[in-house]
Amino acid sequence: MNSKSQSWYKRLFAVRGMGQVVTVGFGLIVMCIVFGIINPTFFSGKNVANLLRQIAPILLIGIGQSYVLITGNIDLSIGSVVGMSCMISATMMTKGMNPWVAVLLTLMCCLIVGVVNGLLVAKCKLPPFIATLGTMTIARGVAQIVNNNYNTDAIGDRAKVFRDFFYYGKTAGVYNTVIISIVLWLVFNFLLSKTRTGRHIYAIGSNIEASKLSGVNIVATTTKAYLVSSFCSCVVGLVICATSGMGTMDAGNAYEMYAVAASVIGGVSTLGGQGILIGTVIGASIWGVLQNGLQFAGAPVAIRNIVIGAIVVISVLIDVIVRSGKLGKKSKIEP
Amino acid sequence: MQEDIVRMQNIIKTFPGVKALDDVSFYLKSGEVMALLGENGAGKSTLVKILSGVYPRDGGTIEVFGDNIREMTTQKAKDLGIAIIHQELNMCQHLTVAENIFLGRERTKGMILSEKEMNKAAAEILSRMNIELDPEELVGNLAVSKQQMVEIAKALSMNARVLIMDEPTSALTSKEITDLFTIIKKLKKEGCGIVYISHRLEELKHIVDRVTIMRDGRFITSMDFDQKQMDEIISHMVGREIKQKFPRVSCPKGKKILEVRNLNAGHMVRDINLELNEGEIVGIAGLMGAGRTETTRAIFGADPKESGQVFLDGKEVIIHKVEDSIKAGIVLAPEDRKKDGLCTKLSIRDNIALPNLDMLCGKLGIVNRKKEREMTEKTVVSLKIKLPNAEVEAGSLSGGNQQKVVVGKWLARNSRVVIFDEPTRGIDVAAKVEIYNLMNELKQKGIGVLFVSSEMPEVLGISDRIIVMCDGKITGEMMTAEATQDLILKYATQFESKIS
Repeated sequence: MNSKSQSWYKRLFAVRGMGQVVTVGFGLIVMCIVFGIINPTFFSGKNVANLLRQIAPILLIGIGQSYVLITGNIDLSIGSVVGMSCMISATMMTKGMNPWVAVLLTLMCCLIVGVVNGLLVAKCKLPPFIATLGTMTIARGVAQIVNNNYNTDAIGDRAKVFRDFFYYGKTAGVYNTVIISIVLWLVFNFLLSKTRTGRHIYAIGSNIEASKLSGVNIVATTTKAYLVSSFCSCVVGLVICATSGMGTMDAGNAYEMYAVAASVIGGVSTLGGQGILIGTVIGASIWGVLQNGLQFAGAPVAIRNIVIGAIVVISVLIDVIVRSGKLGKKSKIEP
Repeated sequence: MQEDIVRMQNIIKTFPGVKALDDVSFYLKSGEVMALLGENGAGKSTLVKILSGVYPRDGGTIEVFGDNIREMTTQKAKDLGIAIIHQELNMCQHLTVAENIFLGRERTKGMILSEKEMNKAAAEILSRMNIELDPEELVGNLAVSKQQMVEIAKALSMNARVLIMDEPTSALTSKEITDLFTIIKKLKKEGCGIVYISHRLEELKHIVDRVTIMRDGRFITSMDFDQKQMDEIISHMVGREIKQKFPRVSCPKGKKILEVRNLNAGHMVRDINLELNEGEIVGIAGLMGAGRTETTRAIFGADPKESGQVFLDGKEVIIHKVEDSIKAGIVLAPEDRKKDGLCTKLSIRDNIALPNLDMLCGKLGIVNRKKEREMTEKTVVSLKIKLPNAEVEAGSLSGGNQQKVVVGKWLARNSRVVIFDEPTRGIDVAAKVEIYNLMNELKQKGIGVLFVSSEMPEVLGISDRIIVMCDGKITGEMMTAEATQDLILKYATQFESKIS
């Protein structure tokens, strides 16, 4: 009995990055309780529904960024791809295009960014920071140019089905945005943890040289990770478009950094090789709960920013301290 | 008669500025263990990297199992059943043992990884090797020796027919080495050809059938292994004639400058005791990984010490960090000039001033430009550094002149002891002589010179006294007059006997 429970415990923590996930998961629970005490309406059905809908887009871009971070790279183009997706889809819909055709075309445009990112980083060996800084700026430019440097008009009644699908509608009592993000999370979590590509994403983030010598296709794997990131960003752009019913050029501004924050709070290492998507869920949730909870508690935006910034630093700091303790043990010489 | 499974003929490989392999031929039969021997830099690793497709060759032919291989790639090598265990560990620390073993060859059911199947297969391989390891353990949590065993398990899992092991035992314990040898013998029986590279000559008798000896990128000889011929093997390994001139200046030996007592720092620096006198150059010889660099770094305070005392001119100096050591007058010209010795993107003036800013700055911390220029000029003139002007990037100088800048920055501050770590690596013969002259000048000025070198002729030619290290310990000490290459190599391979 004892050995069985021990192995259960061991297996849980043997999963990559589970340590930090458990820590911040605990933090999340504490946070919810505190906000619930400060303002009991925090747990009201309406607020919870809203909260989940707030978390969903952060989770989606977090998934994308996590994929890229685990390969040991970074994607700065996320926010701009969100903007691009929002503007391209909205422009096409205002021109009277069928919403679903518009969605498909938007998706193709966004995925091009992912391919370019992957090739620049893995094939041309540009530093990911520089490569995606470039595509970030270009994608933002594209977002501005599609409607001649104006935000679009309202996408109109014909697009009601689009707006309901991505934001306003509910399925089984849950907002569609939440459903979409859960479904995508399940798919991407499966791909990352159960498939060969997922394994290779961890491997190249952990030791690119060893992976190359083991026959892992670095270019293909890196590009796939960037594709996931662009795909998720695209979906978030569509959600934003559905929310406001128009295309805004600065949609998604700074989202790439929110995505880094959600990933990193959830235990994804910016050095690569480490992290699990359940962590990203918790990271995104902490982000959303803080925004929502502090707003409920009447804290001004400035205070919210300060608190969230501190949380990012503290959550990673705890992990560094815990891990350096472990490292100290490991470096002991074997008898 | 066994067939040759690998025939490498007339292999040539040139790296920028160096001919790493010059007309090397190498044959391997099935079911034999071939030891590939030679000193550091003899080209052993380059040769096996060409065989395993890591480097392309510049000339020569490779035949594997009778097929002429025009272009060898890592993938091609793998398909042919050539597996290599690299000297540096190549493991993904964040993946489990089983995940590492099957990296790049994952087993799947449809698109889903067959985690259980791989764990089971990994467990089988590990138990076949007699290693107690949980296949689901993260490799990052394992000791280096265990990681090495995983690397070997990975090679075995590929059903290798040619297995190359580059220094596989350097991180292993005696039990693990015994297990490894058992595995090697088993593989041999199964008809696998094994290339075994090791500096530990005393291991050879347990497993090796034949030896191939290389020196300076050239093939020297191939012969059946016989323990009685050990001396002959060693003389083949070191047998080069010393062509270079080593300028030697004799000085009367003066009083003791530096004394290190019972220095310990990690497992590469164990119980080091050494002395350094005025008017002598002390060379530290040994093989790669003997702990020489680590010892100099520990003395200099670049790495933390566990215990030990350092005395300078008879007084104990407490060195916790590099600043303490510089202040006391012990300085280090590190092994890797570009990485540790110079800020290659900064000017020569900046580089020389960097460790001396305390002397160059006024009270407000503003650098006194005039003093800085004077210091640079003095250093450049006294060391005869050839440069267009002191404002050019340090990285643009030739290797020899870069080395002079590395040393020059320390000489501006009246140091008492200068430690050189591989000062002549990668620089041409003429520049080497200039560095030797510089060391001799320091010696004449009464400054203690300690220098680490892997090139034996250099150690024999320049030092007055030689200390030999092996496995983090000093295994021998001698006056140069009594020293021979064979003697040094004997001490340098005096590993603690790990095999009973």
